[in-house]
Amino acid sequence: MRKIYLLILLLAVTLSAEAQRAKSVILVYLDGGPAQTDTFDPKPEMGRNYHGNFKGVCKTNVEGIEIGEKLPLLATMADKYTLIRSLTHGSNAHETGHYAMITGDTSGGAVVYPSFGAVISYIKRDTYKGILPCYISVTSANSRFNEGGFLGNQYKSFDTGGKPESSEYEVEGIVNKHIDRQRMDSRMALLNNFEGKGMDKQTIDSLRGVNMEFIWGESREVFNLKNEPDSVRQRYGKSRLGQSCLVARRLVEAGVPFVNVRTTGWDTHKKHFSKMNTMLAVLDRALSALIADLDSRGLLDSTIILCGGEFGRSPKVLWEAPWNGGRAHFGAAFSYLVAGGGFQGGKVLGATDKTGEKVAQRPVSPCDLIGTVYLLMGIDPYGTLPHVSEGELPILPSLLDSKKSHGLLYEIIDIKKPDHEK
Amino acid sequence: MRRTILALILCLLFPFMQATASVRCSDEVFLRRAYLTVTGALPTPKEVVDFLDSPAENKREALIDKLIQSELGLKYMQMRWGDILRIKSEFPSNLWPNGVQAYNRWIYEQLMNNVPYDKMVRDLLISAGSNFRAPAANFYRGFQKRTSKNIYDNINLLFLGNREVTDNGNICFQQIKYKSTKEWKEEIVYLDIHKRVPNQLIELDDCTTIKLQPDTDWREPYVSWLTSPNNRRFAEVMANRMWYWVFGKGIVHEPDDWRYDNPPSDPQLLKELTDYFIAQKFDLRALMKKILLSEQFNSADNYTPQRLPAEVIVDAIASVTGIWSTYTSRVPEPFTVYPPKTRSTHLGDATVSSSELELFGKVSRDVSLESQRNNNITSRQLLYLMNSSALESRIRKSQVLQRIYLQSADIEQLAQRITLLVLSRRATKDEVALYSQYMAQNNLPLMEAAIDIMWMQINSNEFLYNH
Repeated sequence: MRKIYLLILLLAVTLSAEAQRAKSVILVYLDGGPAQTDTFDPKPEMGRNYHGNFKGVCKTNVEGIEIGEKLPLLATMADKYTLIRSLTHGSNAHETGHYAMITGDTSGGAVVYPSFGAVISYIKRDTYKGILPCYISVTSANSRFNEGGFLGNQYKSFDTGGKPESSEYEVEGIVNKHIDRQRMDSRMALLNNFEGKGMDKQTIDSLRGVNMEFIWGESREVFNLKNEPDSVRQRYGKSRLGQSCLVARRLVEAGVPFVNVRTTGWDTHKKHFSKMNTMLAVLDRALSALIADLDSRGLLDSTIILCGGEFGRSPKVLWEAPWNGGRAHFGAAFSYLVAGGGFQGGKVLGATDKTGEKVAQRPVSPCDLIGTVYLLMGIDPYGTLPHVSEGELPILPSLLDSKKSHGLLYEIIDIKKPDHEK
Repeated sequence: MRRTILALILCLLFPFMQATASVRCSDEVFLRRAYLTVTGALPTPKEVVDFLDSPAENKREALIDKLIQSELGLKYMQMRWGDILRIKSEFPSNLWPNGVQAYNRWIYEQLMNNVPYDKMVRDLLISAGSNFRAPAANFYRGFQKRTSKNIYDNINLLFLGNREVTDNGNICFQQIKYKSTKEWKEEIVYLDIHKRVPNQLIELDDCTTIKLQPDTDWREPYVSWLTSPNNRRFAEVMANRMWYWVFGKGIVHEPDDWRYDNPPSDPQLLKELTDYFIAQKFDLRALMKKILLSEQFNSADNYTPQRLPAEVIVDAIASVTGIWSTYTSRVPEPFTVYPPKTRSTHLGDATVSSSELELFGKVSRDVSLESQRNNNITSRQLLYLMNSSALESRIRKSQVLQRIYLQSADIEQLAQRITLLVLSRRATKDEVALYSQYMAQNNLPLMEAAIDIMWMQINSNEFLYNH
């Protein structure tokens, strides 16, 4: 028993000694489940029943790494990111897959875990001093489960709402095009004159005061995309996803620790290839611009980028009716792109078999990926979180279970695996 | 020893407490309070005027009777039950939309027919069959890990307010089994009735012992013990929970944390309420009515204001602006789009949500604890109210406000109508003066003043709280 304590102590010392590499995380979440074989794990030799309409591949700037033919821009910068081709959780249901990928919990227990954005928001509750919320979703979080989990509402993401791709990006609560400072001031004066006593008046008054500073302070300019040269806006693409990625970069520059860029429409049971034609072009442009932009500003070293969904899609195309060329949910083997913040570039971790239907090498569980993100963010992946009735619970229960975890991703980060974990 | 001292102090204080009888709240305060408490909805301007102008002596009691039996009242009560029974299509209850619908309907029917609480709990716990056809059986499905321990822990929490189970009553739930059917997502809850009776005796916490008989439903003796009027705790927990539902604070608080070291704040009150509930044969409506007629509920100064629950705030904003959110269930097969103007209190499924509901703390139904509902006001919620384009555009596009503007000849009429709509009362002279001054000072046309007044009232604590 004592030995374990010593080990934990040792780990804590090692962790604090390792200067925290990453300051922020950007999760580019492809909601619905993107097809790994059309993106980061192409199978061109498998014939039309597998590769469907996308027969070709893009050779990347790293010898030996190929990605899907619809991602030519990302192919020019494979040295900046690593592809994980062996993610697996086995679930083909959206809600379960989403829960697994966003919490890292695959224990099947009764406790609802918080999303890793909420966990980071909780851990940094006292140390993060930025003006903006610690965890922001552009433009909205996936509300398929309670992502505050047992930590509570206050750690959920701040949803910006609005349309970043439009000429006027209205951020809920911050930017409201109808109301200028003067009108707001007179409204607040009217409210002050009206308010009676009681009903938490003091607390509310002080919160309103803080909000007024927030609304009219620097935060407003962070969201103002007119501050960007048009060439930059063009580079990301004038799509929802492209401009959301640009907002994410600006938020990271402002010091926000977790940004969730969620893009929907990836659940392509039908019309898969025609949809992918346009959606992959949008993704390619947005994600490559984000990586390159962060890199050129010297921010990639301190910013983790993750891109993937709740699961992948079936490597085998469903040509039959009613799908007529679609791909089904697939949780057995799928891919994620990771970059920056201490993740190395130019690598591929894990592999699938010839068809892409099974993990052939180095399986990676959701908890292994999220645990590694915690590690890079200076958060102990073996630490605990307080639960209202259950006491302290492990931050990643599945990481402690050798049947669920396959180990943190030391192969693709600069932190060495501690001796006791070998 | 400590208890004796406490009792002594209470005895000494009692005469004073009696003497400081609280001031009775006004009719307008009572009306809004009763509507929000019983139905989770604001009264309409017409309902406000009718009630305030009614000369009837017993109009408060008549209103309570009307509201408790109304569709809105029943549905709001159904939401409270749905919260603690964790009714949800997806994670973690995973009841699936058809199951959710059947389960909600069952609860609604219990409430509509005012089924006595003991019978309702009995029917819930002695349930078996298809999740679509025997709705109450969904009770046994909503567990991530379907062990007799988890089921028994939940029963203890819900009906005995017991968070830490130490006895072995879970054995009574060891016959429960599940099997799927060929129907998509249909599942049968059934009993392995011939399971071998374990050797050990069931010894419940209050020293009751149960001896299980072979080839019978083992739940039966437990549920009979649980729901018996002799099991005082069963009635106490419900009486206290109803008090909590009305006031936001239990006589025992938290209402699901009954321990010897967490005593009731007012033992006499709890006793009276429980005695009444048992004497009324577990009549839930009678229990609620008694609480709503209590001095505390009718008090001007002895009622603690409560921030409106998430669903109630969101619905209130929708009803005053006349612009309702559209809710859809993302669970496929079939995708469900709720009819227009569906109240969020009526959704019945915690999987269905919106940014606004999440912001104000809609219950996610992950656990059966009442404390999962967090009604503390946060700066983010205030940010939304102060400066969101979502609220601003609702007010600007509001046909209701447009109509008020067209009907009003001047700022006074306008202010009266808006106040009646948003704050469910008449505007005072001072307030009308404040609004006139505001309009003049800021040189605003009448419609813009209307927008600002509605914005201001929605932002006011008076609107955000049940007071």
